[in-house]
Amino acid sequence: MLRTRIIPCLLLKNESLVKTVKFKEYNYIGDPVNTVRIFNELEVDELMFLDIFASKENRDINFKIIREIANECFMPLGYGGNIKSLDDAKRIFEIGFEKVIINSNSFNNLKLIEKISKYFGSQSIIGSVDIKKSFWGGQKIYSHHGRIKQKDNAVTWAKKLEDSGVGELLITSIDREGSWSGYDIDLIESINKVVQVPIIANGGCGSVQHIEEVVKKANVSACAVGSLVVYQKKGMGVLVNFPCRKDKLLDK
Amino acid sequence: MSSKENLNTNLKVCTKCIYDERVASIIFDENGVCNYCHQISELQQKYGTGEEKGEQKFLEIVKEIKKAGKGKKYDCIVGVSGGTDSSYMLYLSKKWGLRPLAVHYDNTWNSAIATENIRKVLDALDVDLFTHVVDNKESDDIFKSFFYADVAEIEAATDLALAEVMYRAAWKYKVKYVLEGHSFITEGITPIGRNYFDGKYIQSIHKKFGKIPMNSYPLMTFSKFLFWSMFAKIKKIRPFWYIDYNKEEAKAFLEKEYAWKYYGGHHLENRMTAFFHGIYAPQKFKSDFRNNTLSALARNGKLSREEAWKEYNTPPKVEKDLLSYFKKRLELSDEEYERVMKEKPKSWYAYPTYKKRFELLRPLFKILAETNLVPMSFYLKYCFPVDNKKK
Amino acid sequence: MITIVDYGMGNLGSVKNMFKFIGVKSTIESDPDKIKSASKILLPGVGSFDTAMEKINKNNLKEVLDEKALKERVPVLGICLGMQLLTKSSDEGSLDGLGWIPAKTISFKDRVSKKYRVPHMGWNVVNKSNESLLTQGFDEFDETRFYFVHSYFVQVEDEKNSILKTDYGINFDSAIQKDNIYGAQFHPEKSHKFGMKLFKNFAKI
Repeated sequence: MLRTRIIPCLLLKNESLVKTVKFKEYNYIGDPVNTVRIFNELEVDELMFLDIFASKENRDINFKIIREIANECFMPLGYGGNIKSLDDAKRIFEIGFEKVIINSNSFNNLKLIEKISKYFGSQSIIGSVDIKKSFWGGQKIYSHHGRIKQKDNAVTWAKKLEDSGVGELLITSIDREGSWSGYDIDLIESINKVVQVPIIANGGCGSVQHIEEVVKKANVSACAVGSLVVYQKKGMGVLVNFPCRKDKLLDK
Repeated sequence: MSSKENLNTNLKVCTKCIYDERVASIIFDENGVCNYCHQISELQQKYGTGEEKGEQKFLEIVKEIKKAGKGKKYDCIVGVSGGTDSSYMLYLSKKWGLRPLAVHYDNTWNSAIATENIRKVLDALDVDLFTHVVDNKESDDIFKSFFYADVAEIEAATDLALAEVMYRAAWKYKVKYVLEGHSFITEGITPIGRNYFDGKYIQSIHKKFGKIPMNSYPLMTFSKFLFWSMFAKIKKIRPFWYIDYNKEEAKAFLEKEYAWKYYGGHHLENRMTAFFHGIYAPQKFKSDFRNNTLSALARNGKLSREEAWKEYNTPPKVEKDLLSYFKKRLELSDEEYERVMKEKPKSWYAYPTYKKRFELLRPLFKILAETNLVPMSFYLKYCFPVDNKKK
Repeated sequence: MITIVDYGMGNLGSVKNMFKFIGVKSTIESDPDKIKSASKILLPGVGSFDTAMEKINKNNLKEVLDEKALKERVPVLGICLGMQLLTKSSDEGSLDGLGWIPAKTISFKDRVSKKYRVPHMGWNVVNKSNESLLTQGFDEFDETRFYFVHSYFVQVEDEKNSILKTDYGINFDSAIQKDNIYGAQFHPEKSHKFGMKLFKNFAKI
């Protein structure tokens, strides 16, 4: 049976790993490569790395760290953070990553996604969207790590990304991030209704029950986790961990 | 009992343990027994370790801890590393009816075994965890400074940081007691003059060789130390000084109950510690802290002196790729690493420390030690002048 | 020494990395002359069927590979697209495959119900269909799983050649073998302990 993938989503800020709440409040988690080593030993399904300030600061991709990470890992890896060209993607794949995650740079350049998808196949790209509820209740998209509001609403944009050739969609609820209160199931469902590509839910996971819930109700293919795998429990200290497979059945 | 015959060496070796003449400040009595063995006997007497006297004293302390913790979320702090002593201490604290908060200082070099051990034990015992993670770049900068300083105490920054973080956690949650897993029976007392560190030592070395300012690193300055011990009045208790502690049984228990894993050797749950014990100390300083634990085992009759001496003289096992990880992380080329390793070792006297201050304030620290506001071993090690200047 | 064939497509670094981790010597070669002296061959592959076959048909590489696999009969392992290249043809393209194992590569689309999204991506379980040196020791795992990512699957003509099967809307051959030639549809280099076991087995053949 194809298992639901549980994917630790790790945030890079310069050369350290951090965790945010609602995209703010940066708390140190540790050294990126050492943390990845631990996840590797815990045999996680897959890992995603997001360099959260790369687009905002228009910085170059830190290929050095990515290479070190790839050398430590024997599971699929995804990287996101200011990917601007087909060459960037090429280099990332050569280093040993399987997927590139594109967010901010898709807004003025859907062609980039088309190019990468055509050359490497749709399974190599994840289209990433960050959403915050506006004052009036609508779901608004924000790029550049929560700073720039975009015109499209989440559902329309998701469709556009799918049409451009992404193989998966990473849907992140900014409001729920770091809250331990569960995924935004309504948001995920609204997008799932209109797209065929697999969805990775992100933002708010506080327990394995939340994962079970979003899989059952919104039929997602994968769940990204943040706080759950880097803290011992809500409000307590940093402790890298991965929900034990034995007692939780996550098969579809 | 001739030490020379048993161990096949020309060195003078204690007849009770395996500390030899190379150990700093060692003195042998007319029976060839060293002053460290005597010190431990004296401590054993004083604390009544493993006897009725010790147990009684300890039960009193537990009562006090419970009383002081009434109405608060936690009544004691237990520092954890994923290792045997701290993991077992957590189990015992729950057994004694205490409500511990586990505290961990993450220097970002942890191995998966350590984090998994911490998780398993805390989950099973339902204990909360407080962690302080230092910025990995700062952490590496401090380690690199110590490496360039040619001194042995590359682990000092971690040890002192844990002590500071435990105090901070105690302060945050208004807890008055910190439980430490140190046992002079199973570990011995690190000889005076060897492995010295304090906040000023770390600061001076970092000032000279460091490149990144200390922001997230929790430095314990002298005034902080006094604040915690005299103003906040946070007490340090070492249960294994009072009650019996069998490390082998503890290990077996943890493995059985919590699927806890032994990582091999003393403190090898953190790669910097592994580097220190496996490569740095033996190769650059021709010294090996394994003789602490091995002496303790010999002293207690758990190992024969021959076996202990033999193991001490066998090079320690080192994880494959450990050295390349160390070099990569601290951005040292092979040449640079070799160059620094070949430099003449320096001892802690070469850098400014608080040592003189501790000696001057001996009477004060005596009182603090008697009331458990500072560990007695701190008083014995830090507040007396060291006479063996030859290192 | 395992020779990893570099024909311009595939995650060579990760494969070499895993071999290094398990202590097996490997080398990446693109020059057909160097491949001539290989004692064991690994054929990686990520991308499309025709693009891969075009690259292999160039430069004498196909001739060398045919010689090694069919005449000299050195052990060969094709992974992911590499396994599909071992078959006669694929729905994905119009060129012939290497044809070393009688099998076809077929599209998932229209063969499985809509609820099975394509590509088949993620960790899935493999079950032994026939014994093989490649899958020795899999019984020490409660369950053996690997990471898959593919839109086309392989179906052997002779069940004898199937060594592992996986279920994804249809029970397809996730690993195949004919004499010295092996294929694995999944990515061992991305399947941590499971992949390491398989690579170790291949190294021992």
